[in-house]
Amino acid sequence: MQDKLIKVAVVGNPNCGKTTLFNVLTGSNLKVANWPGVTVEKIEGFASYEDFRIDLIDTPGIYSLASYTIEEKVTRNCIMDQDIDVILNVVDASSLERNLYLTMQLIELKKPMVIALNMMDIIKERGLEIDLHRLPEMLGNIPIVPVSAAKKKGINILLHAIVHHYEEGPVTEVFHYSEEIEEKIEKLEVMMGARYPKHEFKRWHAVKLLEGDEAVLKDHPIEVETIADKSYEKQMIQEKYGYIENIVEEVLFYKEKKAHITEKIDQYLTHPVFGLFFFFLIMMSVFFLTFSIGDFLKGILENILISVSNTISALFNTIGVAGWLHSMLIDGALAGVGGILTFIPNIAILFLALALLEDSGYMSRVAYVMDGVMGKVGLSGKAFLPMILGFGCTVPAIMATRALESEEDRKKTMIITPFMSCSARLPIYVLFSGMFFEKNAYLVSFSLYLLGLFIAILTASILTKIKKEARKEVLLIELPEYKRPNLRTIRIYVVTKLKDYLSKAGTVIFIASLIIWVLLNFGPAGMTSQPDESFGALIGKLMVPLTRPAGLDSWQFVVALISGISAKEVVVSSLNVLFQTTASGSNQSLLQSILTVSPEFGALQAYAFMTFCLLYTPCVATIATIRKESNSWKFTSKVILFQLLTAWLVATLIFQIGSRIAGL
Amino acid sequence: MTLFDGMSGIEYKITGIYVAYAIERRLEALGLNEGTTIKIITRKKNGAMIIKVRGTRLAIGKAIAAGIEVKEV
Repeated sequence: MQDKLIKVAVVGNPNCGKTTLFNVLTGSNLKVANWPGVTVEKIEGFASYEDFRIDLIDTPGIYSLASYTIEEKVTRNCIMDQDIDVILNVVDASSLERNLYLTMQLIELKKPMVIALNMMDIIKERGLEIDLHRLPEMLGNIPIVPVSAAKKKGINILLHAIVHHYEEGPVTEVFHYSEEIEEKIEKLEVMMGARYPKHEFKRWHAVKLLEGDEAVLKDHPIEVETIADKSYEKQMIQEKYGYIENIVEEVLFYKEKKAHITEKIDQYLTHPVFGLFFFFLIMMSVFFLTFSIGDFLKGILENILISVSNTISALFNTIGVAGWLHSMLIDGALAGVGGILTFIPNIAILFLALALLEDSGYMSRVAYVMDGVMGKVGLSGKAFLPMILGFGCTVPAIMATRALESEEDRKKTMIITPFMSCSARLPIYVLFSGMFFEKNAYLVSFSLYLLGLFIAILTASILTKIKKEARKEVLLIELPEYKRPNLRTIRIYVVTKLKDYLSKAGTVIFIASLIIWVLLNFGPAGMTSQPDESFGALIGKLMVPLTRPAGLDSWQFVVALISGISAKEVVVSSLNVLFQTTASGSNQSLLQSILTVSPEFGALQAYAFMTFCLLYTPCVATIATIRKESNSWKFTSKVILFQLLTAWLVATLIFQIGSRIAGL
Repeated sequence: MTLFDGMSGIEYKITGIYVAYAIERRLEALGLNEGTTIKIITRKKNGAMIIKVRGTRLAIGKAIAAGIEVKEV
């Protein structure tokens, strides 16, 4: 039998548990893409109920249906333009009053709508009770289903409500503004009807016109001035909240007063003094776990890789594979890609930690805790969130700058975020600090994270001084309830990131490794077994004079750095190929090869090299994202050039000062 | 007085909001309107603070705190 199809848009405030609920509803049937024209993530999935197929679209979390932010515009277009049958509004019951503001706006659309009242368990914990009979009555009898996304409760009832309500049709009107405003809405509705007879949302549109919404006016121009001489937005927001206050008064009861867990935790974590201390403690432990447990597991993977490499090599010898093919696959592809794969444990742990910080609700506290420090360099504390995300991957971090209130702040944050050590740079640190710093390896790696942070903050400070702007610290962020991280959400997050990493290893890194192998094995005279006569060496040697002041005097490092622009991990995979490390991922053989080529190369050179990798031109994916988000090639090229110069300058300083000290 | 002059643990009533247009609308959508009660949960010397309004906790910076006119309840 043909399934009936229902399209549902999932809409709700940030932190209302929308993503968790979405994941529970759709299982793992996810499709992630971008909304047309913007880099806001669009997630689609589906659920089945009875003989219905329910297609769900997750929209970005928003507080209002206005059109001030990209997220608001995206959500609005989604629920209005697309053939959405039902709006599923996720409401955080523990923050009912504020969540209902968006609900009120959604109701104005008069589309079929179902409310999932989430976080009912928190309501109980706090000794509160919600009157589930009165609440729907006051919201035009739309179905309201109490659910707990985290505990997977109420999910079937919710699906039933969606299916049932879809057949039932739209809700009736609930809320009336004051007479003054209703009169104007009515007139505008008549005008809309005359001008755009087929328009679906006349009342909603009239409401938005009266609020002075520019996007609506641009889509459907009309002479608002004849009805309203000013924007009534302020008054209308107040009237809506007035009605919401009535609702809350009637439906929300205190049964008993209980201690508030979030406030207890916040006494410590957002303490004016100790807050900063706890933050650094948390970050330290994140990096400690990443390196210690990560390295232990990495060692196991390395051994597996070596035996795989040896087995394949032996197999090739037995079946008589041609020498060049053997070399290309083992020394090129396997050494490059395999070397990268061994870093999976480190990266998984890092992303796991970031996911835990985010999902527990701690991340937004960091914006508050860091606001003082960031304020001193002319940025809002909120700018620190993209920077932390930058520890994971620069691409989403650059996208996250969108949350910043001012355009100036955004550009500044885009300039400094690439200085944060992303997970792709982690393999470089692990490799080099492991080879040259042995016992102090963790400390050295950690120092690079701090160095990146320091350079980022220094840059922001200089930029602010140059522009001599008045400091306007427009921090504004919601601090959600602390909650136990949801395993499902965390798993989906980490698995997605690892898949990205693996697919990068399979595509960009694989191709880059092969290109490097070709550059090394071919020269002006055709195929060569002397790397010194290869194209790679020619290119590298041309640039060596530039990198020599930073202690990098062999062409292999130059080639590795150039290749690293495709993706930073490629620096490692290239080095494995460049120095012909046969047993992939084995530090000892790489170290020996490096010392053969460049006997001078020691801890200082290694540190200068790592610094260069930390600071120089970001990877292609980041460049593309900066270009898209800033919408300017000029700005993007400036960023690239600035970072290259910074890297050279800092690496050179480190090497020159370091060798002077060593020479004393 | 403005919220910037306020103290931790005290409740205030908003009498006016004077910040940039877009931020004012954002604050209003979050439920900070004239007449709304705000409680300062904690604050730093530099003016950043955590407030509780309509059951939600918000962190705001000095610029915003100094633009919200309040009176003690």
